[in-house]
Amino acid sequence: MKQDNSQSEPIRISKLDPKFKSEVMKHKDAQGLNACFACGTCTAGCPVHEIFPEYDPRKLAKMVKLGMRKEVLSIPYIWYCVTCHNCEQRCPQNVKFFNILNVLKNMAAKEGYAPSPWVEQTQQIMQTGIVFPKDEELAKKRESFFLPVLKSDCKKAKKLIELAGLDKIKAKKQS
Amino acid sequence: MNRYALFLGCTTPTQVIQYELSSRWVCKHLGIELVDIDDFVCCGINQINLSQEAGLMLAAMNLAHAEAKELDILTLCAACTGALAEAVESLKDQETRDRVNRKLQTIGLKYNGRTKVKHISRVLYEDVGIDRIKIKIKRDLSKFRVAPHYGCHYLKPESAFEGFDDPDNPKTLHQLISATGAFPVQYETLNLCCGGKSFPISKEPAFYLVQKKLDNIMGKKIDCMVVQCQTCYLMYSDQQKVINGRFKKQYNVPVLLYPQLLGIALGGDPINDLGLNSNTVSLNSLLAKGEINKQL
Ligand code: SF4
Ligand code: SF4
Repeated sequence: MKQDNSQSEPIRISKLDPKFKSEVMKHKDAQGLNACFACGTCTAGCPVHEIFPEYDPRKLAKMVKLGMRKEVLSIPYIWYCVTCHNCEQRCPQNVKFFNILNVLKNMAAKEGYAPSPWVEQTQQIMQTGIVFPKDEELAKKRESFFLPVLKSDCKKAKKLIELAGLDKIKAKKQS
Repeated sequence: MNRYALFLGCTTPTQVIQYELSSRWVCKHLGIELVDIDDFVCCGINQINLSQEAGLMLAAMNLAHAEAKELDILTLCAACTGALAEAVESLKDQETRDRVNRKLQTIGLKYNGRTKVKHISRVLYEDVGIDRIKIKIKRDLSKFRVAPHYGCHYLKPESAFEGFDDPDNPKTLHQLISATGAFPVQYETLNLCCGGKSFPISKEPAFYLVQKKLDNIMGKKIDCMVVQCQTCYLMYSDQQKVINGRFKKQYNVPVLLYPQLLGIALGGDPINDLGLNSNTVSLNSLLAKGEINKQL
């Protein structure tokens, strides 16, 4: 297990964003946040925490409450969540941490932190309706299994993606 | 009703074709009619990371297409199951549904909240039933010790699955494996995630989680692992090989998709009906143990 060094920086009150919490809690799925009593059950069951102790659902919930906007939204580990739902499944307070995390990721994406694989997948859906290309090779492979030609309505998918503004999300520049 | 709209998702029909092949064969064999819908698109689960609204709209578009054909949806991928079932749940809320429908209207669609979403294993469990599966078994698989792996989104979020099975102590896949005559082995890391959902972002979680589970089940003298999602399959089977190379390990755990195991038991042709020759970890020793005379 790796060392947890994330406590080392002091929190500066002047850098806190007091509106951050209410901005997060505007979203229906995140409204349970106030009920969190920091028991840490979510963290204990989080497989990503097991590998990267710096990634800590309980602490993230606390950081949101404190208004640590920039710190939360720029944490690369928020994108490592394996979507196992353990945190919400086990929370005694019915806080949907997994959903709160999605709200945070959506905000981070808008602020320029979106990882390129998800942005590329979106672009692919706009072209083929799925997250993979549909080329000649695939068509031949499917034919060899006697399976029907793979179709999907990418035009409608593209339109919905545009309506949701997802096409505007740009990938984080590699540093 | 044993007629469903087949929701293939993105990865199965392009990367794990043997899952589609064996699922179609098993359904045909057991009287489940699958209807192909040309308009289906990605379920939207990964798009939720960037925009929950976009993810919900893609899911709603798929639900609307199935509803227009008066069909419920049968899924193969656990993640598609979770994403679509969660969308069904969210769209029960009138305000949310109205908001989404205003957008769907611009592409000529409407969702009224009637579509149900079921994973193929759930359809086999509920519509066909364990007893009816048992009657159809043709090959003796009683020598197989099988480690089940459920896949997180098969049963979670719990609120989207109407009490079907228990995500903390699941039983349905165990029972489906028993129905084939094989023996489902219980193990400590049963509910451990495969790590596949963040694999495009970082390989580390999956590499760690896959090894943790393989270490656990290798100690249980199992003959194979059975999964019910193509992403779980890719993590435990394809990535098992990558892990062997990268971390100098010697894992040798054959991994089957559940319809492949069931298909073997039902007497399907291992190659033409079930695509067992496409699986990355060789199944030859497994077939030999089951006295199935076929070299893959
Ligand atoms: S399990 Fe729930 S109440 Fe406990 S720290 Fe996590 S979110 Fe808060
Ligand atoms: S859903 Fe994500 S945050 Fe929650 S326990 Fe699983 S990996 Fe951790």
